[in-house]
Amino acid sequence: MEKLTHSEVVTLLLQLATMLVLARVFAEIAQKFKQPAVVGEIMAGILLGPTILGTFSPESFEFLFRSHPMSNIALAGYTQVAVVLLLFIAGLEVELNLVFSQGRKALNISFFGLVIPFAFGFTAPFFFAEFFGFSEGSKLLFSLFMGTAMAISALPVIVRTLMDLNLFKSRMGMMIVSAAMVDDIIGWMIFSIILSFMGKEAGGIGLGYTILLTVGFAAFMVTVGKSLINRVLPWINKRLAWPGGLISLSLAACFLAAAFTEFIGIHAIFGAFIIGVAIGDSEHMTERAKEIIHQFVNNIFAPVFFVSIGLKVNFIANFDFWLILVVIIVAYAGKVIGCGFGAMRGGLDKWESMAIGFGMNARGAMEIILGLIALENGLINEKLFVALVVMALVTSMTSGPLMKWALKKRAAAA
Amino acid sequence: MYQKVALAIAFSPRMEALIAEARRLIGIFQGELVLIHVGMKTDELESKLDEILKRHCSDLKRIKTIWKEGKPAKTILNTCVEENVDLLVLGALKKEGLLTYYIGSVARKVIRKSPCSVLTLIDPKIETSRFSKVVINGTQLEVTPRVIEKGLKFSQAEGASQVHILNEIKLYGLQMATAGESCEDEVSLTRRKLVQEEIKYVQEILDGLDQSGLKINIKVTAGKWAVELVRYCESIGADLLILGDENGYTFIDRLFPHDLEEILEELPCNLLIIK
Repeated sequence: MEKLTHSEVVTLLLQLATMLVLARVFAEIAQKFKQPAVVGEIMAGILLGPTILGTFSPESFEFLFRSHPMSNIALAGYTQVAVVLLLFIAGLEVELNLVFSQGRKALNISFFGLVIPFAFGFTAPFFFAEFFGFSEGSKLLFSLFMGTAMAISALPVIVRTLMDLNLFKSRMGMMIVSAAMVDDIIGWMIFSIILSFMGKEAGGIGLGYTILLTVGFAAFMVTVGKSLINRVLPWINKRLAWPGGLISLSLAACFLAAAFTEFIGIHAIFGAFIIGVAIGDSEHMTERAKEIIHQFVNNIFAPVFFVSIGLKVNFIANFDFWLILVVIIVAYAGKVIGCGFGAMRGGLDKWESMAIGFGMNARGAMEIILGLIALENGLINEKLFVALVVMALVTSMTSGPLMKWALKKRAAAA
Repeated sequence: MYQKVALAIAFSPRMEALIAEARRLIGIFQGELVLIHVGMKTDELESKLDEILKRHCSDLKRIKTIWKEGKPAKTILNTCVEENVDLLVLGALKKEGLLTYYIGSVARKVIRKSPCSVLTLIDPKIETSRFSKVVINGTQLEVTPRVIEKGLKFSQAEGASQVHILNEIKLYGLQMATAGESCEDEVSLTRRKLVQEEIKYVQEILDGLDQSGLKINIKVTAGKWAVELVRYCESIGADLLILGDENGYTFIDRLFPHDLEEILEELPCNLLIIK
């Protein structure tokens, strides 16, 4: 078995330590300003990467991230695992139970909150492809990706915002949360289908077949898969060490599902996400275990992943003001109009609907993961990627204040 | 509280026990009893029923028997509407076979669609006894204040020795993981706050209600409320679970069970659904 040399091991460990320390420092600063940790972690990456460190102290950047290619490969493996785990916990957060309980109103919000941003995101790049940096390949796939990028949401940011505003348990809060859950399931499904068309993933399998495979896998996992999980988990909880047994085996299941979907031509992240949904929905997956897995991934894997984003791209060289502005406008317009319209159709008043639109607008970490995979697969260029990251940060940072503003207006109007 | 109680009968081995239980209830509420049988009326069945009624009921004037033919669930439900029934009592199996569950048994169909409150008895006995350990669903739903109010009244009438009101913290893991971005003190503060808020919710409902004669215990859990209710009822050996119902359930809900459907999958004890 190949192994890293002495100096490569030292470099890898130094990389991890630097990334974790800076991520923590900036996450703490972000939280002081009531911002999600991911905002700080991305900033830390920009500081450590070619944008700042590479420009002002090229030797240090060279020493840390360019001197040992093998260490970088090992680091890439770490971040790949991090993405899979991030999608796994995104799946764990989905509670189908809650979605079904919320019924029609939530479905209205999620339907319009998905379809309208998707339509906005699809139309603009389809007709102005060059402006969005499209150069070669399928314009349809490119536009479909942009549609998905506009439709996805970030549940953790939404939950945090709702908790801060003391709205989490309210009717509106539960509606927003369950609508975001539905949008995420469908969004990741569409994205997986798009990815399997990216050539190298599936080697030219038909559209119908890919959709069937993706939807079929998801349906299988949340029905038959879930009932299998429901039989196995009680045994694990009773017979094995707790929560050790539960955590290691559910992560093993996550990697297996990710490997399986990657193998059949759908991206690994989809397998991780769907098995997360199936395991998270099981009544035997205790809330305490979910919390532990969240902490484990959010504090060990996620920071390194988000910092690594800044290492890959030069944010200043690829900063295109107009592109960023347009992406942000399309993102806001799509979600606020879509979710707002859905909420109004469900019988909510104007300001309440607008608050829901702002709440659902947060894209956070999920958008960044989506963008990075698209960048790595050659679907988008670095400028558009930077625009998507900035949009994800701006929508996450403004979601809370805008929601607060809309609710204040509502209170004033009443 | 329940002036007109109906009992669906099917001449099964448990019928006598069900009649005895229904008789006990009309005794408590000083009401009248309507027996509903869907099927052919024959002399043999009639005399069998008379015999049982005579054994258990001293005052037969308060009892009326309705014989109807048609689809069982639909006929029972229609009769409840026609007769202005307040409470429908029926017997049900604790757990049904997989196929019966998905197709829907008569009992489950009636529970899902009933226009009035339904009391489902899983183990009726000829030698009846009161419900002493009662669990009420206190999870934050629109119907909950009403369910707690009616649940307390029912428990008072029953003379229940202990009433447990169970409330749960929604998406506890996700909320705590989100709070985990703060420092240690804040995290434990959030943890305490989440529990206290749920207790406060129930307490505020209780404050306006008559609790005389009842020993009430508020319990907070985390997870899916229906599953937690089932677990709690089983762990304390509850006699009766009281909850509300605000949804019209369909086949899809049985495929992805949630809320009431999760309880109907396997009844932990007797079940009173307040409408």
